[in-house]
Amino acid sequence: MQEYKFTEEQEKEISRILAKYPVKTSALLPLLTLVQRADRVVSPEAMVAISKKLDVSPAYVQSVMSFYTMYHTEKVGKYMILFCINISCQLNGCDKLLEHTARKLNIKVGETTSDEKFTLHREECLAACTEAPMMRVNDTYYGNLTEQRIDQILESLD
Amino acid sequence: MSDVTLTIDGKTVTVPKGTKVVDAAKQVEVDIPVFCYHEKIGPLGCCRMCLVEVEKMPKLMTACTMDVAPDMVVKTVGDKVEKAQKGVLEFTLLNHPLDCPVCDKGGECPLQDNTFKYGPPDTRMEFHRANNVKAAPLSPVITIDRERCIACQRCTAYSERIEQDRGLVMLNRGFHNEVNTFNNEPYDNRFSGNVIDICPVGALTNTDFRFKARTWDLENHDTLCANCGCNCNITLGTRLNEFMRIEARPNDAVDDGWICDKGRWGHHFMESKNKITAARENSVGKTEPTSFPNFPINAPAEQAAEKVIEIFKNIAEEHGPESIGFLGSPYATNEEGYLYQKLFRLLGTNNIDHKSYQDTPGLPIRHFDVEEIENSNIVLLIACDPTEELPILDLRIKKAVSRCGTKLLSLNDQDTALDKYAELKVKYKVGSEASAVDALAEGLARELGESIDFSSDLGPTGISDEDMKSLVEAVRSSMKICVVYNPAALSGDTSLRVKRLLSVIARIPTIECGAIPAAPATNAVGAVDMGLLPDFYPGGVPVSDSEKVKELWGENAPTKPGLSASEMIAKAKSGDLKALWIHRSNPVVDFPGGEQVVEALKNLDLLVVHDMLETETTQLAKIVLPSNGPGFDEGTTTNIGGRVQARRKALEANSIDDWKLIQVMLKKLGDESSYSRVAKVLNEISQKVPGYQEINSRFVGKQGCNREQVAGEEVSPGNVESAASSNGKLQLRVATYLFAHDKILDASSKLAYHFKPSSAFLNESDAGKIGVSNGDRVSISGNGTEMEAEVTIDNRCMEGGVVVPRISDEQGVNGLGNPDGSPAWVDIKKA
Repeated sequence: MQEYKFTEEQEKEISRILAKYPVKTSALLPLLTLVQRADRVVSPEAMVAISKKLDVSPAYVQSVMSFYTMYHTEKVGKYMILFCINISCQLNGCDKLLEHTARKLNIKVGETTSDEKFTLHREECLAACTEAPMMRVNDTYYGNLTEQRIDQILESLD
Repeated sequence: MSDVTLTIDGKTVTVPKGTKVVDAAKQVEVDIPVFCYHEKIGPLGCCRMCLVEVEKMPKLMTACTMDVAPDMVVKTVGDKVEKAQKGVLEFTLLNHPLDCPVCDKGGECPLQDNTFKYGPPDTRMEFHRANNVKAAPLSPVITIDRERCIACQRCTAYSERIEQDRGLVMLNRGFHNEVNTFNNEPYDNRFSGNVIDICPVGALTNTDFRFKARTWDLENHDTLCANCGCNCNITLGTRLNEFMRIEARPNDAVDDGWICDKGRWGHHFMESKNKITAARENSVGKTEPTSFPNFPINAPAEQAAEKVIEIFKNIAEEHGPESIGFLGSPYATNEEGYLYQKLFRLLGTNNIDHKSYQDTPGLPIRHFDVEEIENSNIVLLIACDPTEELPILDLRIKKAVSRCGTKLLSLNDQDTALDKYAELKVKYKVGSEASAVDALAEGLARELGESIDFSSDLGPTGISDEDMKSLVEAVRSSMKICVVYNPAALSGDTSLRVKRLLSVIARIPTIECGAIPAAPATNAVGAVDMGLLPDFYPGGVPVSDSEKVKELWGENAPTKPGLSASEMIAKAKSGDLKALWIHRSNPVVDFPGGEQVVEALKNLDLLVVHDMLETETTQLAKIVLPSNGPGFDEGTTTNIGGRVQARRKALEANSIDDWKLIQVMLKKLGDESSYSRVAKVLNEISQKVPGYQEINSRFVGKQGCNREQVAGEEVSPGNVESAASSNGKLQLRVATYLFAHDKILDASSKLAYHFKPSSAFLNESDAGKIGVSNGDRVSISGNGTEMEAEVTIDNRCMEGGVVVPRISDEQGVNGLGNPDGSPAWVDIKKA
């Protein structure tokens, strides 16, 4: 296993994060997020590097990381599309819209486009039922979706 | 701590505050079913099996997480509780396969038992059970069945709280929840096997025992582990006189319920191909086979022994009793050690020893039992690496530090795995332990206002004044201190200096103190107690105390101090020692000196080796006698805490028991005592060995009992001589590695995957001087011996030293040592 190197900027960010918590282990989720955002994946090498920063075992890092669905063990696209399929969105026809999106991107749900631009996932409730049907692309929520609106959104992302 | 009284199912019980309801219930024989709870691991509240009704609480409560409270009224029966138990079990069994008929846990399975007792008669599940991996290796010795796992998290909690590595965790969540390691790496550490014992279902199984026998067909023998000085309690399961498996047998005073992996899987030597099964005569050495005409080749061992002891007697008569010697074993039982020293003292010699380092019986302060570590507020480790030498002591110290508020201090020449738990770690240079110990003793004496001068000098130790000051202060200000030291890792007469340090500590009026002499060998304490020493009779009676010796051992008992092991080897070389008897010891490999030892042994007129496995030493022996060894033998051993416990027979051997063999020889020499059972030997020990008066087989029982303190003499070692200059050489520290490839763990061992290549741990500055970097091959030479190793630069020791773990018999690292046990200098060159 190769050694994982944080960039200088990341190191600074890590020191800033660590300073916030009286117990080092508390910084685990922020560090995992840092890595996920930078690499679009949390690799075993990165888990080892985080475990060393926090004085915990790599197994513990993996255990926490694997509990949360928004950390990924396989590299995801530049745009991570999380499509809500919970009840409000379902009643408003999310199934069809999800199918449409998959067709548009030419992938199956759960896959990443070959240019690594988009990854499409189902997601349980994203807490925006008033806007149903809705999806989340990286950190942005898009509500009241229709097929046209989805096309527009996908085109607007480069 | 105050007590709390509560009622459980109408029965009143009083327990200490902080007790969990589930443990309180046990005291009034109320059974609350559990899966995830284990009294040594602590509450989890994960499996929900222990739901009980508590008056005035609206919902059912988990009895394993709830502390007792005054006047609490708990109900473990009734419709509400029973419905919950049935529900939990039905849920737990949703995906659990019904493969009990082929499951190793069948017959001793808490899930099986609880289902029969509390479970629903049927399931309402209409769908197929989920399928999962049936047999995946979690490590080379543990197999996990993922279908059977009920995700109770006992094993992962054990990993987190007991062994504290957090190597085993729950991955993923919900339905995908699984017990696993990081990145599917094998789960291997020194204590991994305990998860098999605590798994409440058949998910974690012993690969070695899988499908070998049904548990109810096993004959279980309560005996002791023979692999180190902890003497952990084990249950050895056999079937049709064949070894099947080993499980932990909890004894709070010894092992706290755990055993290490070497204890669990390191007993296959009992069925080794290398086992000595019959007496034989080798045609080696100076004497041709013809020199013992009529030696009964292929005769039973007892006939051979009778013959050989007669020859010993003749040699003693011809050349004087100084010309014969006995090298006993720190691995043998007390009874064997006792009888052997009796035999040789009957021959008129005190040339009796069992070790290559210096040690004396008794302590100037209390001999603490292992449990005292938990209620000491300071534990001071001197030259100790419990993780490698005495693994269960490592768990005990971790428990004390993390749960009992104990502070750990360490005075050592190398870094160890326990250092991260230490409050203060003081490192001295390899070979300077005498000065380091003296400096601590002198510092403490000065604090006491005593005008003692040990002429200690911190210079050669490399310890800073501040560090020594904080160490002195930490020891002085403790309330209760437990000093744990390893005499086998101390060079020269340092173990005597440690005793002097202990007597200084004993004079500090404000503290309670005790010590544990933690030599790694199984019965190192027992061997010293039983008088396998050149200058002490059993029970610490000095040979010079002729009055006492004559009273206990008769008019003819020898009162002249004998030769130590290293002196015997030197005398063998010079030809003054004619005959040597070795019992279960392999000095060729285990003693410092290497080739010099071989030459010395070859120079003997007669070398007799009484051992259980073929070794480098048996190859040199004229006569080889079979010893049965652990599993087959019976007797008692004394662990590092001074606790005498019974090692019971589990398998029937073909050869005669060691103690019977010695009895045959004693009779031949005219000794009149006769022992019908091994317990009779223990009876004699209780009469003859001061400190063992109270010990008898009934009192030893299942849990063992502490012997009385063995008397110790006031020791006054001289001042430390200044060391010779190094001339570019380094001081050698031979470290212990638990899974060394030796006769006990041979190539076919289940633990062979732990074997390591030979390595040398160097300090940065020394590596720079020698011109080597990480991974380079080097040759290490000293004392006319040479060996190879791979360099690791990690500052494990200070400048001027090198740490070489003893990783196999072949490696020959002990050959680099000086035969007299003084610190050894070695040359390191790039190979």
